[in-house]
Amino acid sequence: MTATLTNQPTIALLGQPNSGKSTLFNGLTGARQRVGNWPGKTVEKKEGHYDRNGLRYRVVDLPGSYSLSANSEEEIITRDYIASGQADVVCILADSSQLSRSLFMLADYAGMECPAILLLNLMDIAESQGKSVDAEKLEKKLGIPIVPFVAADRKKYDVFYAAVERALDEKKLVNADSLLENFHTIENGVFEKLLELLPNEGLESYSAHWLAIKLIEGDIAILEKIKSTLSEDNYRQIQSILSSIKNGALHTGGCKFKWVDELLSDTFVKKQERPLLSKFDRLATHRRFGKPLAILIILLGLVASFIPAAPIMFAGGLIPKLGEPIANALSAISAPQMLTDFINHVILNTLYFAVAMIGFVFGVNLVFGFLEEIGYMARVSYVFDGTMAKLGLQGKAVMPLVVSFGCTIGGAAGTRVIDSWAQRVLTIALAWVVPCAATWAIVPVLSSLFFGAWAPLIIVAIFLVAGIHMMITAKVFGSKLIRDEDRAGLIMELPPYHKPRWKALFRSIFVRTWDILSRALKVILIVSTVFWLLTYSASGSPDKTLLYRFGRAIEPATIIFGFTWQTFLAYLASMLSKEAALGVLGTLYLGAGTLFSATVGSGGEMAAGLSSVLLTSLTPPTALAFIFAVTFNAPCLMAITSTYQETRSLKWTLRILGYYFATSLILAFLAYHIASLIF
Amino acid sequence: MIELSKIKAGQKVVVSEVKGDNRFLSRITSIGLTIGCEIKMLYNEKKLPLLFYGRDTVVALNRKESENVLVEVIA
Repeated sequence: MTATLTNQPTIALLGQPNSGKSTLFNGLTGARQRVGNWPGKTVEKKEGHYDRNGLRYRVVDLPGSYSLSANSEEEIITRDYIASGQADVVCILADSSQLSRSLFMLADYAGMECPAILLLNLMDIAESQGKSVDAEKLEKKLGIPIVPFVAADRKKYDVFYAAVERALDEKKLVNADSLLENFHTIENGVFEKLLELLPNEGLESYSAHWLAIKLIEGDIAILEKIKSTLSEDNYRQIQSILSSIKNGALHTGGCKFKWVDELLSDTFVKKQERPLLSKFDRLATHRRFGKPLAILIILLGLVASFIPAAPIMFAGGLIPKLGEPIANALSAISAPQMLTDFINHVILNTLYFAVAMIGFVFGVNLVFGFLEEIGYMARVSYVFDGTMAKLGLQGKAVMPLVVSFGCTIGGAAGTRVIDSWAQRVLTIALAWVVPCAATWAIVPVLSSLFFGAWAPLIIVAIFLVAGIHMMITAKVFGSKLIRDEDRAGLIMELPPYHKPRWKALFRSIFVRTWDILSRALKVILIVSTVFWLLTYSASGSPDKTLLYRFGRAIEPATIIFGFTWQTFLAYLASMLSKEAALGVLGTLYLGAGTLFSATVGSGGEMAAGLSSVLLTSLTPPTALAFIFAVTFNAPCLMAITSTYQETRSLKWTLRILGYYFATSLILAFLAYHIASLIF
Repeated sequence: MIELSKIKAGQKVVVSEVKGDNRFLSRITSIGLTIGCEIKMLYNEKKLPLLFYGRDTVVALNRKESENVLVEVIA
């Protein structure tokens, strides 16, 4: 146990979704936490610490999982971590308001040879439902510290600290004697037979009985793991026993729940039955009203996101105004012009981009984190399950897709409420298709300029193409991301509605936002610097820049897709910011301003005089190609950053980016050539 | 025995058989549905997943999967 040697005890938090695990993690560690990936995985790893009585306690937030089976990467990471012995104590969280189901995790844990404590979390909600638990009696049965708990209430954490210290001191394992008795009743005595063949001491922190149960459940990963410890004969015998077992998980699950029922039979009291579905829930899950209600609430949520976001975004908007005073100060000390330009353009704009992005991400996380926290998102998932399943998504995905009509950054950030990584990546890949608000600042202007009264038809065409695009993209990414066996239909609990825990919610969102900000700054800084160098010229005129030369050089190629070199550069710039499409056209056609400031500083307005120049320089087919290319291009640099943040994978972010680059070119090609036949 | 998807809202049933691969069985047991467990149907409308109550929990289950859950009506 390396952790004990360094004198920093490690506590691992284990719990099903909705058990309040993140609340406890944030409550314990506050800002003293690091977010990274589990080695070689795309699963987020959160680690932090707290200090108490001169001792530092490391806290590891294990990925959310329903059990310790091998049904998902999260579950495998979780159990491998516990088995590795890196944790000194595992803190198992159960939802006291749904105790008889929630203790399944404890039953699945029993047999792991690592000291544990059991937190009966959400005790306040259980009590309000007239439920009570005799923790002392339960503790006698289980042998490990049992703590009735409210993770959202930091003032009452002393009981937790005390239990951890006791567990570290006494190192007691979950008493599973009566659970084992249950396992012995599984038909044909397979449990006993397997125990005889398995090494007595188990493997790592897995006890022999835990291994036997997983084998009965058909857990292939465990079979592979123990293969090397077995003689060939024993291995063959085990295989023949396993081939005789049908529906193993059902038998062991029955035993585990029987054990839970026995545990609770004289320790748990439920006074009154509450109504199972509240009036609001009848509406929220209604076959006709459920969906419109969900869309309405999401739209209201989108609007509400701007309330906390607006002041932050406003403050961000002030940053570029620092440019002049800084320039003056620098020229006073006669600093080189290039340095002044760099600070003015790259540094200030990076800050401006990052702050504006973070304002919106903060708002979206707060509002939709709130809807998730009180339990409403599960209802959205329920009513939209069938619709979203057609795209291979789970019901909750409707939220990021709707939010993306406002802003793709928010859409990507909103996928946080989706618990599976693959589902999250697929949802983001589809959210990029949805035309965001900035698109509507550009497309109608260009459409009416070139197509007059026919402009609405272009808008309709965009929606049609978006629909087809989504179906194709869902197939392309779905086939890579989600294995067929993972396409199981919805199995989900609808958690009871909670009152929001504002403090805990704000705490977790502040920590998250800070994490995103620091990453976003890096990405935006690098990309801005590269783009700045490409668009830099000492005189500031566009025709001396690398980007300009590049654009001119490849015009023979871009014209195949229907681009002039000007529209192609504007299209490239629209990947950084959609509004840049018009700004860059203005710079290139009118020669006004620098390419860089046209890209990052443009509000999406048409420069004076641009429309007449565009009408004489572009044909309707090239205009149409440009409209489609910009609409279906990567949304903006901040959406790309946000995608990287939520997928936690550079590979997948680049894949999505490359896919959109390619498909938007194809769409431009099609639009150009089809339009050429008409006009 | 009758498929869970055919149970009307308000009926109480006991689960008597669950079919499916290991993955499905392990997932459905982790949410509390095992043989012999008592559940009450809350909502069963076309095109929407089923909603039922068992082990202190309101559970939503896809219609297709619910055809693999066989039950006996008790009330």
